Amino acid sequence: MNEDLTRRDFARGTVLAVLAGGAAFLVKKANGQIVWQVNAARCINSRLGDTGMEACNLCTTECVVALSAVRAVNEYSKCGRCNICPAYFNIASAVNELGQPSEKLCPRDAIARKPIGKVDPEDPANNFYEYIIDEEKCDGCGKCVMKCKEPLGLGSITLRVRYDRCVNCNYCSILKACPQNALVQLPIGQALST
Amino acid sequence: MQYRHVQVIDCKGAVHGIALDGHGRLYAAGDSGIKVFDAAGRFNERWPTSKPALAVAVASDGAVYAGEAGQIEIFDGAGKLLNTWRDAKLLGRVTAIGFTQDSVLAGDAADRAIRRFDRGGKFLNNIGKDNPVNGLLIPNGVVDFGVDAQGVIYAANPGKHRVERYSPGGELLGHIGRFDGLDPAGFTGCCNPTNVAIRDGIYTTEKAGPRVKAYDFSGKLLSVIATDLFDANCKNMSIAVDARGRVYVVDTVKAAILVFEQVKV
Repeated sequence: MNEDLTRRDFARGTVLAVLAGGAAFLVKKANGQIVWQVNAARCINSRLGDTGMEACNLCTTECVVALSAVRAVNEYSKCGRCNICPAYFNIASAVNELGQPSEKLCPRDAIARKPIGKVDPEDPANNFYEYIIDEEKCDGCGKCVMKCKEPLGLGSITLRVRYDRCVNCNYCSILKACPQNALVQLPIGQALST
Repeated sequence: MQYRHVQVIDCKGAVHGIALDGHGRLYAAGDSGIKVFDAAGRFNERWPTSKPALAVAVASDGAVYAGEAGQIEIFDGAGKLLNTWRDAKLLGRVTAIGFTQDSVLAGDAADRAIRRFDRGGKFLNNIGKDNPVNGLLIPNGVVDFGVDAQGVIYAANPGKHRVERYSPGGELLGHIGRFDGLDPAGFTGCCNPTNVAIRDGIYTTEKAGPRVKAYDFSGKLLSVIATDLFDANCKNMSIAVDARGRVYVVDTVKAAILVFEQVKV
């Protein structure tokens, strides 16, 4: 009886040890996993110094994933919450009755905005806005990124690889086409934090 | 009204703010000092400041005020440090300084407001703070303003695409300007105009793309003084106008001051 228990306990312990070891291996593997990410300092849509040009949309056209694994992401800590956001509005469009541009910039209408705090109904210019990018609509075309970068904006919007979509190709098809070599491979922890 | 570009003054270092005195001398704040140029634009001397200088202004008595983070340093006309006003809360980041007859005004970009002090440095009141958004809308990170001969303060409110007029007591008197990405009379982008100067009218600078304009006091556009002479990445271009109507504008990328004068037609 005692011997049976000992054997059972030993077997259970062995299984648990194998499971724990496997979990630790998986965690270690995930932390060390190499993934693709957009280097914002190389991407022509976000890097400083390049102004007055059309946005590059190779992340949209070259990715093997439908609608692209690259998305525009707004870093709220940097966002100016502007009344007239050049990434939201087409600032070159005619002004409407509210004194704002009459057209939006995003061809997929993937950016929504909502006022922050108490709205001043008398003066539309007197409000802050939060700008939210709908990842289901965004295809990473980069138009908003180009318009958000300094000096026109504050550079809060950049293109990022979304790991729930990226299939982690051995050689990224966007990189094959990118003249700036802006797709880089990084350990996943670093890719998420940069 | 038309202007022509007549001079480039190389500052050989960062320039954040400029000012002129009654003799046409030009003062440039940048790095950790004030650079002084004569009326012909020749470099004369440099006065060190204890912190990076973000703004400069010359009072009617010739004293030169340097705006910095957390303080204002006051020099005499020869560059001798006379006094330092320190206040981490009220002078968080001083990006503009101006004067009314009896007070000193400091633009605090850290709190998006203009502070009014008496000549001795005692705080009197805020300007541009009493509104639903609790201050001037400056995504560009700089408060700038000018003061007319009557003591009315003209503050750039770039997030609203306006220049707002305030009494020294802080009452909003009105504004000029509106958003328009097509009409040059309007201000475009997220946040323009960034900088303003007052003389016989209202002079403004804008970023993305860089643009210098003159308006009359009713807000009517008089002239687009310059557009394509500046580096496209310039922003927060400080501006000053001398008694002859010459307009001085900082190219923040090239670290230079471009001078324009009116063309007589």
